[in-house]
Amino acid sequence: MKKSLAAVFRKELIHIFRDKQSLFMVLTMPLMMLLLYGYAINLDMRGIEITVSDRSLSPRSGELIRHLEATEFFHVTVAGGGVSDVGDLFRSRRAQCVLEIPGDYADLLAAGKTAPLLLAIDASDPNGANFIGNYVARVVSLSFGERQGLFALEPRIFYNPDMRSAPFFVPGLIALILLLICALLTSIAIVREKETGSMEQLLVSPVRPWQIILGKVLPYTFLGFLDGLMILGAGRLLFRIPVEGSLLLVMAMMLIYVVTGLSLGMLVSTIASTQAVAMLATVSLTVLPSMLMSGFIFPVSSMPPLFQLVSRIIPATYFLEIIRGILLKGNSLADLYRPGGILLGLDGILILLSIRAFRIRLE
Amino acid sequence: MGRIKALVIKEFRQIRRTRAYLGLIFVAPFVQLIVMGSAITNEVKDIPLIVVDGDHSPASREIINRFSALSLFDFRGVADSTVRADRLFDRGEIKAALVIPRGFERDMGRGLSPQIQVLIDGVDGNSAGVSLGYITSMAGEIQKGWIGSRATGAGAEIVPRFYYNPGLESKLNFVPGLIGILLFMITSMLTAINIVREKELGTLEQLMATPLGGIRLIVGKIIPFTVLGLVQFSVGLIAARLVFGIPVAGNLLLLYFMALLFIMSTLGLGIFISTVTSTQQQAMFVAWFSMIFALLLSGFFVPVGNMPPLVQKITLLNPLRYFMSVLREIYLKGTPFRYLLPEAAAMGGMGIGLITAATLRFHRRLE
Amino acid sequence: MGIREGSAAVEVRELTKRFGDFTAVDRVSFTVGKGEIFGFLGANGAGKTTTIRMLCGLLAPSGGEGSVAGYDIIGEYGKIKGRIGYMSQKFSLYNDLTVGENIEFYGGIYGLTPGEIRDRSGELFAIIGLEELKGKLTASLPMGWKQRLALCAGLIHDPAIIFLDEPTSGVDPLSRRNFWKLIYRLSDMGKTVFVTTHYMDEAEYCHRLSIMKGGRILEMDSPHALKGKYGAQNMQEVFLASLKEGS
Ligand SMILES: Nc1ncnc2c1ncn2[C@@H]1O[C@H](COP(=O)(O)OP(=O)(O)OP(=O)(O)O)[C@@H](O)[C@H]1O
Ligand SMILES: [Mg+2]
Repeated sequence: MKKSLAAVFRKELIHIFRDKQSLFMVLTMPLMMLLLYGYAINLDMRGIEITVSDRSLSPRSGELIRHLEATEFFHVTVAGGGVSDVGDLFRSRRAQCVLEIPGDYADLLAAGKTAPLLLAIDASDPNGANFIGNYVARVVSLSFGERQGLFALEPRIFYNPDMRSAPFFVPGLIALILLLICALLTSIAIVREKETGSMEQLLVSPVRPWQIILGKVLPYTFLGFLDGLMILGAGRLLFRIPVEGSLLLVMAMMLIYVVTGLSLGMLVSTIASTQAVAMLATVSLTVLPSMLMSGFIFPVSSMPPLFQLVSRIIPATYFLEIIRGILLKGNSLADLYRPGGILLGLDGILILLSIRAFRIRLE
Repeated sequence: MGRIKALVIKEFRQIRRTRAYLGLIFVAPFVQLIVMGSAITNEVKDIPLIVVDGDHSPASREIINRFSALSLFDFRGVADSTVRADRLFDRGEIKAALVIPRGFERDMGRGLSPQIQVLIDGVDGNSAGVSLGYITSMAGEIQKGWIGSRATGAGAEIVPRFYYNPGLESKLNFVPGLIGILLFMITSMLTAINIVREKELGTLEQLMATPLGGIRLIVGKIIPFTVLGLVQFSVGLIAARLVFGIPVAGNLLLLYFMALLFIMSTLGLGIFISTVTSTQQQAMFVAWFSMIFALLLSGFFVPVGNMPPLVQKITLLNPLRYFMSVLREIYLKGTPFRYLLPEAAAMGGMGIGLITAATLRFHRRLE
Repeated sequence: MGIREGSAAVEVRELTKRFGDFTAVDRVSFTVGKGEIFGFLGANGAGKTTTIRMLCGLLAPSGGEGSVAGYDIIGEYGKIKGRIGYMSQKFSLYNDLTVGENIEFYGGIYGLTPGEIRDRSGELFAIIGLEELKGKLTASLPMGWKQRLALCAGLIHDPAIIFLDEPTSGVDPLSRRNFWKLIYRLSDMGKTVFVTTHYMDEAEYCHRLSIMKGGRILEMDSPHALKGKYGAQNMQEVFLASLKEGS
């Protein structure tokens, strides 16, 4: 019995290693992704295009403009006589915001009053618009000098003191890649056998169905696992991703998550009749939900409560919590029993479902 | 013409017979659009917060009251020591904590400007920054209240006005973006698989023994998937209007024209992938990765302007990047065509380039 | 080179195909006359399929020259395709289309008008006997009928020459007999049939026959003449004897 399992396993390994092109991709693409994610994702805005509509044309307004120019955040264009059509500036994307300095600006300041500065912001990117508003307000208030307050704040940022994006995204990337390799490749590998008829050949052999599936799935597990470790290693070298907790625990959790991917892949493969269908289904079930709803980028806690429920049934949500916890916060098993337990539970449900679906298929 | 028509009809028949397609091409994207459009937001709110009160004074109580009343925070109570806060941080139950030191009120009275420690979970650097911003401005407001309005001198105040999205709602930004992502996914993946599948099944060899020719074959593949893409796009537009109440501010015809150019480029990509790969598995793998890259470098998650210059250059190769800005421009700002010419040119050029490359690679002979 | 009226249907000299440093077809030369049934006999890997692919314009030859239906196989392979029918070794029509839809599709691909397709397929269905199965999904047909359907698709544009690569593999004896009856009818209609096979009885049916091994043609003559040459009772003996001699 063990021998036949080994035979299927070996056959699948041969498939993988014979196809050099695929193997190359499986091993290099995740690294390329890591590089791009590591370097590309940067939520700090820079070079904001600001047009200053200076109707005051006074030394005071000039001073304010110099303050804006002095920061790295802004790329300042001064429209001397004022801006007539803000909408056109926005639509042509020549400015992201327009600061209006009123004609009586200098007079108001001279009179010791507060001058209103109208700031028009292109909010088609609401998040960016919010940032822009805050930045401009901060620069303006700094330009008038800060007043000593009654008390001060002393921020202390835990786990990721520089608030870098890489430590946040790289663990997420591991989750994504594991899911891809395990779910996508296994579902396709199984469906391919079905399509070409070699599944039938295997089913008539004395190999048990579960052995076939397991034998097919294990090599991909192995590949996915390898990829995960690769990303972790490269992330550590290139982006100084900390490993605060136990590496062994990371690997154990990765293994649990791999099972999630596999059972998703199996579930899809028992239902899909062609590789194309299998792929579309896997992508719909894995990629988008795991990228958008799991907290990979967008915080789950900000979602409407109803949709937080959706993210609670996505395994990636828990795996992300776990792996970020171990790597960045140094969590131990004791801190992780809840997400770990739920992940195991989800695994169990998925496995049961796919076994059921597989049985039905065979009959 | 007749030959292309035969191909198109055949393609539609095959699509119709694959019953799962109906669900995967039209229903799943629709559901995804609705769920994700409603769910995702990059606003940071409901930040779980505790206050460690070492002072137990009226001042510290006021601070606690002000913070617990604010809906941006999910106030989780008052703790007596930072030890408990540490444990809550480790378990991920809180993301922020304020530590008010003993003698806070007294020191304030003496003008010593005591410090409140703000502890923040920095795992998600972005959210951490935003939370700190909230706390800082809340603290500023509290101080202002205590000082009273007497001490304001000459100064300037920013009065922001948000164009196109006054409520700063994330969905106005994400829903059009999601429509683009889903369109990209379906069109590029379906075509990437389609031709490789014919290669694997051997039907391509049979086709190549006919006088059909590479160009006609590719055109015959492009037409049906363009139609599918446009239908899917329309479903997305309707959902955006009916479910999210987001109307198209600009010209609808222009939007469709741009969608057509975009679909050309994604189909070009798909077909190109299918000519350079030999099995469906490979094709899907490449398509999948192209999708992830395209998503990341599209400006959907992170504005392209934030990326390092080199990465910004790479995004120029990404059709989704152009369509993403086109969608936002037309949907929200009603931008006219003359300002979208660069995007139109890039998408059209990419489409033609990729399709030509695929046709050239796709000799009328087998390798 | 234009169409050379009256010349042979297929004519090749020193045709060679190399894959890397492996020579799959090694300097083969032969001529097939119009209306002839020309058989290719050979063990697995002898180079039959590769030869046919070169003749159909699917593969570029590495050496040699030749013409099919009067067109040069190197410079004018595009034109050849409109004049020939091809049935590949592996069944390769669309399983997810119905019988009628497959035929309609190939008719369209060969540039026939809907009217022509209707007339032509009516004719072919009558000859081949597919009429009742028109609405059936191709995947549900038994192998023998699939082969006939593939033949039908290859004939829809009334080609002068038809290449059949192992058209009867996996088909029961009765269906095979019927299939060969069809081949004879095609030949009677003046079509040139170029067929490869592993079946010795089928080899007997050919007008002329070539035996291939290792990319080279060992023997080429009528079945009768070959049996005479080897003093053999049947093709089986001829085949084995020629292979032995060739090695
Ligand atoms: N694309 C290719 N690349 C490399 N080798 C090839 C290729 N196509 C065929 N061959 C090799 O050329 C030889 C001849 O193949 P071919 O398919 O022509 O044989 P055949 O006579 O049709 O055999 P069969 O009876 O099995 O169909 C075989 O050894 C085969 O492995
Ligand atoms: Mg062959």
